[in-house]
Amino acid sequence: MNFLAPLGFAFAASLPVVVLFYLLKRKRMAHVVSSTLLWQRFLAETQASAPFQRLRHHWLLILQLLLLALVVLALSRPYSKGKLPAGSLQVVVMDASASMQATDESPTRFDVARNEALKMVDGLTPGTEMVILVAGATAEVRQSPTSDKGVLRRTLRNLTATDSATHLVEALRVADSLTQTRPASEVHLFSDGAATGLDEFGTKSLPLVYHRVGKRSNNAGIVSMEVRANPEDPKQRAIFVSVANYATNTIDSTVELLFDDQLKDTQPIELAPSNSVPLVFLVEQPRDGVFTARLTHKDDLAVDNTASVLSRLPGPTKVALVTVGNRFLQKALAAAGPAVEVVVSDKVPADEASYDLVVLDGILPPEPPKANVLAFHVMVTNWFDAPAQNLETPPIVDWRNTHPLLRFVSFDDVQIAESMGVKTPPWASPLIDTTQGTLAVTGEIGRQRIVWVGFDPLRSSWPLRIGFPIFVANCVDWLNPATARSQRFQIHTGEPLRLPLTGLVSDARVILPDGSKQPLLTSSGTSELIFGDTGKQGLYTIESGTNRYVYCANLLDLRESNLEPRAELDLGQRGTLAATATKPANLEIWRWFALVGLGVLMLEWWWFHRRTA
Amino acid sequence: MQTLLNPDLLRRLEQMQLLAARRAKSSAKGERKSRARGQSVEFADYRAYVPGDDLRYLDWALFGRLDRLFIRLYEEERELPVVIFLDASESMTFGEPRKFDFARQLAAAVGYIALCGFDRVSIRVFPTIGEGGRPSLDATSPQGIARRALNSVRGKRSSLGFLSHLQALEAGGAGDMDAALKRGAREIKSTGAVLVISDFLDPLGYEAGLAALVARGFQVTAVQVLAPAELNPAIHGDLKLIDSETGAIQEVSFGKFRMSAYQRSVAGYIAQWEAFCKARGIRSLTVSSGTSLSDVVLRQMRSSRLVG
Repeated sequence: MNFLAPLGFAFAASLPVVVLFYLLKRKRMAHVVSSTLLWQRFLAETQASAPFQRLRHHWLLILQLLLLALVVLALSRPYSKGKLPAGSLQVVVMDASASMQATDESPTRFDVARNEALKMVDGLTPGTEMVILVAGATAEVRQSPTSDKGVLRRTLRNLTATDSATHLVEALRVADSLTQTRPASEVHLFSDGAATGLDEFGTKSLPLVYHRVGKRSNNAGIVSMEVRANPEDPKQRAIFVSVANYATNTIDSTVELLFDDQLKDTQPIELAPSNSVPLVFLVEQPRDGVFTARLTHKDDLAVDNTASVLSRLPGPTKVALVTVGNRFLQKALAAAGPAVEVVVSDKVPADEASYDLVVLDGILPPEPPKANVLAFHVMVTNWFDAPAQNLETPPIVDWRNTHPLLRFVSFDDVQIAESMGVKTPPWASPLIDTTQGTLAVTGEIGRQRIVWVGFDPLRSSWPLRIGFPIFVANCVDWLNPATARSQRFQIHTGEPLRLPLTGLVSDARVILPDGSKQPLLTSSGTSELIFGDTGKQGLYTIESGTNRYVYCANLLDLRESNLEPRAELDLGQRGTLAATATKPANLEIWRWFALVGLGVLMLEWWWFHRRTA
Repeated sequence: MQTLLNPDLLRRLEQMQLLAARRAKSSAKGERKSRARGQSVEFADYRAYVPGDDLRYLDWALFGRLDRLFIRLYEEERELPVVIFLDASESMTFGEPRKFDFARQLAAAVGYIALCGFDRVSIRVFPTIGEGGRPSLDATSPQGIARRALNSVRGKRSSLGFLSHLQALEAGGAGDMDAALKRGAREIKSTGAVLVISDFLDPLGYEAGLAALVARGFQVTAVQVLAPAELNPAIHGDLKLIDSETGAIQEVSFGKFRMSAYQRSVAGYIAQWEAFCKARGIRSLTVSSGTSLSDVVLRQMRSSRLVG
């Protein structure tokens, strides 16, 4: 026999108390009477009429002890291992995203959701198992299927909400796979419904029950932040901050900008409901450092009121242009930035490593360069799986204008005489599409960034359009290793920190936003340090030897900042799932009765001894 | 005197007399019928004259008719010795009102009736001086004097002193009732009426003493005085009861729910005592010290044919 609640045996301590009561010589009140003759006679007579008087007392003791032992045994919830038909499974999915920290519910939405889940644990019928999934920075199974309520409660109590966006899709996929084999199972999602990408569950028969938490949307937050060079003043940096208001009233507040915790600038904002406002701060930056924007408005969610971004001072960009002569390209490169230095050559320079990027204009070097490459009309065979096909006057049908490289670039009136067309390789994403193939791709091989354009700009009308210098400038910015580095230090909460290693590292650790340190495991073969526990917003610092690398983890998520509790879960075009009201459940309360029974038993014992011999 | 018997009761007691079931055997003259022939107004019999008889008792009318000399015999009226055994042991000091006070009043009432009827009253208080672990009681103390004075009282004139001596009595110490009664039966010369006033709660028993009195030919009346608290105890809980006389300890747990069992037990004890008395021709009466004295004397004792 095993016990679900072995702590119940603690009540066995009351057994000796009963025996003690029995053994204790009761304190009697002394009383002088005229004669004890009548009392002796009375006692003799009553005992004579109950010959088993003494024995009966012992019987009573034994019965009391037996009863108490049974109650204690019941409190420890014994069970025997047997075989039952596979019972139903309840999958609890806890949304642990940033929006669940909102304080419109008391104390937070997450605590309310946790209490709801705890009630569900209380109502768990025997034979029913429960799984606890958490959809926070990552989706993970926190408790594998069990019917042990103590374990389930402990697991739920240990959960905390993170500062990250929700990963509900992954969690629901896990729930789906768990419920596939169990016939009578339910998935209970405790969330405020701030999630997208649930389209795939519109068609699946996932037995999903959506428990909504949250009352209102009273929140304004920083939804984007970026640092760029000020094109008009190279000494200054332009910090773009976007603030959105999801409250139902107009907010009147200020946004502070701090550089390494020193206040640099403030800007007042007045923001109507459901509006957002872009702010630009122009400040001088004396050194590498962290810009922090802070919204001073008090609302239900504090996480999105600050955002940080790491900014490094722009260094000179050295570009090697390998061309037989292309004035358009040369001028466009020279104008790409204030500190761009272009070296023109007809072959890749020998000191290639000292250049930030190499531009190949129709010249294929014997060995592909190792630096970041912008390539025009060259076929580097180990970049593509299949040889390129020659396309005559390919019509441009689509281009990715959302990609940073094609920002403000249009191909509306660009004609191309001749181009190489390729099939997009796995490492790349297409930039310019025609009906017959892709004319331009971009991507990373290892840590080398590559932009490949299949046609010679001189054999097209592109260099005459405004889009060409903009594209070249975008390329120089994107291919600049400094940009790539600074982007690496900018993560969303929940994303892992990655630090590529150039040499052997013996010792490394991470300083978390709360100041605590955590060692990172390193071994001789490690080429990259990865740290995944980035659920909290703030600055993470990796210390490795004498080097320090600062990472900024920000929420910066529109959906999480929008605290409006969704009455329906958006399952894409296929439909929605309405939030359920409380489901009637059978909550176990027998323990309380057992406890009261124990108390009554003790009371009875005490009372009995108080009034009888 | 005022505290023992009130004047109204005294007045009513004067009209009463002790009912003696037997003829008086005392040698002293009194107002009781006796078997002895002597001088009185009650004619009893004739007997033939023998020389030396008092010629004043010759029946001359009979001599005239029969020509023989006869002496008229008259019933001799003798006194009835009334002995009252009064229990003054420690156990009698209990009760509200005290059992001893009640017993003393009862003894006073009966003694007063006897004194008014020209009977000799003797009150024997036990435990006697020096008995029952009471060394302070010596014969020269007021207590000793009172006890000695109560040994023999006669005549209504003595009633004032009788009552005041009774008033002076104190109770205390452990008594041996059997021994006291047996000693009384041995010592009293002329048999008469005996009244035993006690609670009959002597651990050593009462049977042998009463039986000795009956065997001596006394007309014995036993009055058991119990306190209301003994009949209906007000104490309850886990108790350690200490016997006032013997110091014996009895542990008992008592409550209202066991009251009826206790009352049954007490009733059984009284019934046993009454049965003992009845079997030996002893008139018995059980009274509570809480009842009024006049009720006991004027009603209960009357209906029991103790007084009339």
